[in-house]
Amino acid sequence: MTMQIQLRNLIPDYIEKEKRIASQIWSQDIFINKGEHLHIVAPSGSGKTSLMHFIYGLRKDYSGSVFYDNTDIKKLSTESFSAFRQKKISIIFQDLRLFENETVNENIEIKRILDPYHRSEKIIEMAERLGIENKLDQVAKTCSYGEQQRIAIIRALMQPFEFLLLDEPYSHLDEANRQKAMELIYEECDKREAAMIFADLKPLEFLKDEKVLYL
Amino acid sequence: MPLTYKNIAPLIVSGKNIFSKWLGYFGLGIGVLLLFVSIQMFVNIGQLLKENSPRKSGGYDFISISKTITNENMGKDNSFTKEDLADLKQQSTIAAVAPLISNKFRVRATAGDIVPFSTDLFLESIDDNFIDTVPPTFTWQPGQLIIPIIFSSDLLEMYNVFAPAQGLPQLSAKTISSVNIFLECSGPNGTQVFKGNIVALSDRINSLLVPKSFMNWSNLHFMGDTAVHASRVYIKTKDANNPKLISYLDSQNYRLNKDKVKFGRVKSILQNIISALGVFGILVIVLALMLFSFYLQLMIAKSKDNLRLLLTLGYSPKWLAKSVAKTWLPVYLTIIIVALILTEILHLLFMQLSFVRVADLSYLLHWSVWLTAIFLLALTIFINLKLVKKELANII
Repeated sequence: MTMQIQLRNLIPDYIEKEKRIASQIWSQDIFINKGEHLHIVAPSGSGKTSLMHFIYGLRKDYSGSVFYDNTDIKKLSTESFSAFRQKKISIIFQDLRLFENETVNENIEIKRILDPYHRSEKIIEMAERLGIENKLDQVAKTCSYGEQQRIAIIRALMQPFEFLLLDEPYSHLDEANRQKAMELIYEECDKREAAMIFADLKPLEFLKDEKVLYL
Repeated sequence: MPLTYKNIAPLIVSGKNIFSKWLGYFGLGIGVLLLFVSIQMFVNIGQLLKENSPRKSGGYDFISISKTITNENMGKDNSFTKEDLADLKQQSTIAAVAPLISNKFRVRATAGDIVPFSTDLFLESIDDNFIDTVPPTFTWQPGQLIIPIIFSSDLLEMYNVFAPAQGLPQLSAKTISSVNIFLECSGPNGTQVFKGNIVALSDRINSLLVPKSFMNWSNLHFMGDTAVHASRVYIKTKDANNPKLISYLDSQNYRLNKDKVKFGRVKSILQNIISALGVFGILVIVLALMLFSFYLQLMIAKSKDNLRLLLTLGYSPKWLAKSVAKTWLPVYLTIIIVALILTEILHLLFMQLSFVRVADLSYLLHWSVWLTAIFLLALTIFINLKLVKKELANII
């Protein structure tokens, strides 16, 4: 059975009323199925990251509910969350969240070994595609932000998933690298027939036939 | 490749305070060693000072007690009252009580023609089940002129020592039964001569025993006395060296054969000292475990960000707790095994001591030491896991 994510009447505790009424997401019922691509557009400070954290289960300061299939995730134990995060949902954080003192390779490997979807050679292959192959043995904190962003992308693609959450994943990439990263992500989502929830500041021109919602 | 602690080890900051870690190991080792050694020595001393007297039969000791004669109570009636006997019976350490009843009338013994011997005697009687050797002939009915007597082996030995000097023949245990003793019993109510016949020797009771029925009859017949005067009481007990029994008897001012319970006193003092050592060992273990727990808390606090990120990435909290806790297992195991080896060495050294009867002890450690080792290992693992789980729950 494939998984569905449902947002039901979701409202962050801190949001002002006007913003909520204008939103296509807050206080709405939204169903996201496997294979769907959802593009969420919003200016900075409007709650994109909050939404991603709500869906990933990192924050609970909202009213309404997020459902994984028929389970309200507020009722999930940390143990059950870990199972979802290993097999069903992957995320690229806006703030990347890398182990700063570990090498690039170790940062990616630590995610891969948890539930290997790819063999470890795939790390090198992806690093080559995104142009960071010569950084693999470098400590993460010595990499540029753009490089770190690519590390976070590769890390997120190492596991099996049915949903991929992307929170401004290309903010520090130039146009060419953005294109390469986007192609890689699309490929990996297609392989898994996974849904993509993509949040960014403005609609991206190369996002083709995406469903766009304004936050 | 299955996921192991190795994969996340670089992310767990173990801290720079190596000294406190090794101090913790050392303390735990000392505590565990103290505990094991004291348990083993407690057992050793118990085994060595276990009395194996002939008075013991069927797992019971039979010992005689009397009231201590002091300058204050000298000349008063120092026999046991009914209340004394009832109180003795109530003690949990005493299985049964039997008074030794003595004659009130005068008894004079002559050995007839073979042994030219004549002396004043005393006779005593006690419940048959307190006597170690009771032949079926040890009965008496009024009108019977032959009185069966159970003679003490110790008294026979004493007789054989002084007999040659008195010009008397020495007697073996076999021949004594063929010696005819004439007992002349006399009191205000008359005199009567009985023939005494030694039917058995007793290792347990130091006396000349006659059947209870004869004692009751003769005390009444010659003296008109029906009261029971027991200046000695035999008690039946599981362990004459039981410190509880000894302290009770002391508190009642009862005197007992010091030789027989000497070991008991030494044993209880030694075992008290060793118990104190064991308690000290437990205390050291508790302190060491506390030091460990501080160390563990520090480690988890220092690795807080990394652990939190691992959880965010989908690492299971249960797995993390188990893996982090497991890293201590080899340490605990090593400490306990080393302590067991040292205890075994100390035990073997102890067995080399001159006063140790090797046959009484096993070369291997007592099972209670092994059990304690297993229990300690389980306890440390359990405490460790609980602690890590609690600390992890705090950072989620």
